[in-house]
Amino acid sequence: MLHIEGLRFAWPGAQELTLDIAHLHIDAGRAVFLHGPSGCGKSTLLSLLAGVLVAGPGQVRLAGQDWAALSPARRDARRAADLGVIFQQFNLLPYLSVLDNVLLPTRFSAARAQRCPEGPLAAARQLLARVSLPQALWTQRADTLSVGQQQRVAAARALLGRPSLVIADEPTSALDAALRDNFMALLMGECRVAGSTLVFVSHDERLAGHFDERVSLPDINRAALHQTTSALA
Amino acid sequence: MKTLLRVAALSAWNRRGTLLLVVLSIALATALLLTLERLRTDIRASFLQAVSGTDLVVGARTGPVQLMLYAVFRVGGATNNIRMDSVQAIAEHRAVAWVVPLALGDSHRGFPVLGTTPAYFQHFRYGEQQPLELSAGQPFAGNLDGLYEAVLGAEVADRLGYGLGQRITLSHGLAPQAGALAAEHDDKPFTVVGVLARTGTPVDRTVHVSLQAIEAIHLDWVGGAPLPGLRISAENARKFSLEPKQVTAALVGLKGRAAVFNVQRFVNGYEAEPLLAVLPGVALDELWEAVGIGEQALLAMSGLVALVSLAGLVAVVLAGLNERRRELAVLRAVGAGPRQVLFLLAAEGAMVTASGALLGALAAAAGVLLAGPAVQARFGVALAWGAPTAMQWALFAAVLGAGMLAALVPGWRAYRLSLADGLSPRT
Repeated sequence: MLHIEGLRFAWPGAQELTLDIAHLHIDAGRAVFLHGPSGCGKSTLLSLLAGVLVAGPGQVRLAGQDWAALSPARRDARRAADLGVIFQQFNLLPYLSVLDNVLLPTRFSAARAQRCPEGPLAAARQLLARVSLPQALWTQRADTLSVGQQQRVAAARALLGRPSLVIADEPTSALDAALRDNFMALLMGECRVAGSTLVFVSHDERLAGHFDERVSLPDINRAALHQTTSALA
Repeated sequence: MKTLLRVAALSAWNRRGTLLLVVLSIALATALLLTLERLRTDIRASFLQAVSGTDLVVGARTGPVQLMLYAVFRVGGATNNIRMDSVQAIAEHRAVAWVVPLALGDSHRGFPVLGTTPAYFQHFRYGEQQPLELSAGQPFAGNLDGLYEAVLGAEVADRLGYGLGQRITLSHGLAPQAGALAAEHDDKPFTVVGVLARTGTPVDRTVHVSLQAIEAIHLDWVGGAPLPGLRISAENARKFSLEPKQVTAALVGLKGRAAVFNVQRFVNGYEAEPLLAVLPGVALDELWEAVGIGEQALLAMSGLVALVSLAGLVAVVLAGLNERRRELAVLRAVGAGPRQVLFLLAAEGAMVTASGALLGALAAAAGVLLAGPAVQARFGVALAWGAPTAMQWALFAAVLGAGMLAALVPGWRAYRLSLADGLSPRT
């Protein structure tokens, strides 16, 4: 499903490599916990997996397709069709309603919309119900929701239209313990239902128990030894 | 596309406080540009239409522009008068249909007094060959019985609140200040017998009396002051010869336009006295070019105001961009490309510019509609508030175009940012 081969990446203008990964393979449908301390290149790796950044030498293949081989416009189309992304916080456009936020990927990708057999709107309503968001909130502006509610909306958006890969970048760090466990259970369950591969990044190793597989980024990143403080997490 | 436009609109609405200021500044600049252009067009029109139907304006030898200034616009004084027998000679030229002599130099409460003949009301034309019309009363009689009769321009009557039967006295010289030691012809008061309808030309600001009346009030005057010890009463004045020896200028109408250069040569080469004949249309154009520079500078200035407000748009959107990096990252994550991010910013700029420009156009139209009557009354310029002129369309389009171009600056910056940031903004 996800395949990295000989990846080397440095931010433009940076002297040193941020990532230098010889090999990483993740099977379809797995839930992978990617951990490492802040600043070890986790977020950079996620950007590369999502095809927002493109590796210099080396390959990052999603379902056999190297991101670098696609034109920028095709990368954007592919990301819209096949990826769900959850950030640490501020996932939602504050001025859109909850439902409009969830529907955003289907607005940018017809393929994504087509994978909702019941129609995007019905699928979005189902997902919002499954992440236990009270129906009264669905038509409200996204910024009227609490942080925990916003993260659940973000999970619903990432899962709408069954993307093959869901990327989560410390989505629980803004949540307290009870909310966190609730969110983890929900995310894992929904990924399993959707059949999506999950790559979950966190520095919080207590979460590792929820996952099929754990990968320590410092262990596989040969550039980690040369990390400078200027590198970004 | 539809989603992006909706997102752009809602996002802009979310930041409406700041953007509203930009909209207002663009609206102000647009209104300024459009109003100035309207004023420019209409002032030019009323300027160029100050006199028509007159083939030649004749005066003492001076510059054509100066002759037009005092003969038509009553601005400044004549350096020399022309003799009445010269005017008579021109009138006898076989191509000449009519001659209307003009005698200037006196005033009434700041309004110029024009001594002329009743033929003036018959032959003078302005605008599109429109004749003078009386809104009340009749022209002065031009004979001894009606010696002290005056006909007022619309503006004079309105401003001073005069009606028919009003008694007025003339002051010697042009535009004396109220209360100053103005030499008054107060021994020979005039009666208003007619008020002209509004024309939007200098006629509105003129007090018309007969040439004989001008002679009569100056019978006992020499060199701008009453002769000491000599008093000729208004009644007695009628016993003197009141035929004028000199006038300031004359309007000449021809039997056919074809002879105009012929007659002009005749006047300019007149041997008994140095004279000048100008074609009013040509001289008005020349005059407009002289006074038009100021108005061009004004237009250039309001163009600069528009540029400044567009620079404000760029500054405000650029400054807000840093806080919007999260927003852009979210859009990237759900599948928006950098080009769509650029489009989003450009669309926002276009929407802000368009609302500003539209608001400005409305304000300009409302301004002309509301201020039009006041401007007409005060400055004699009729402001048209109908369809925009071609130049107004061009200015409106220029503001829109420049705004959209300006919006590409933050758009480009957002494009670069969304490429460099990846999924998470590096703030």
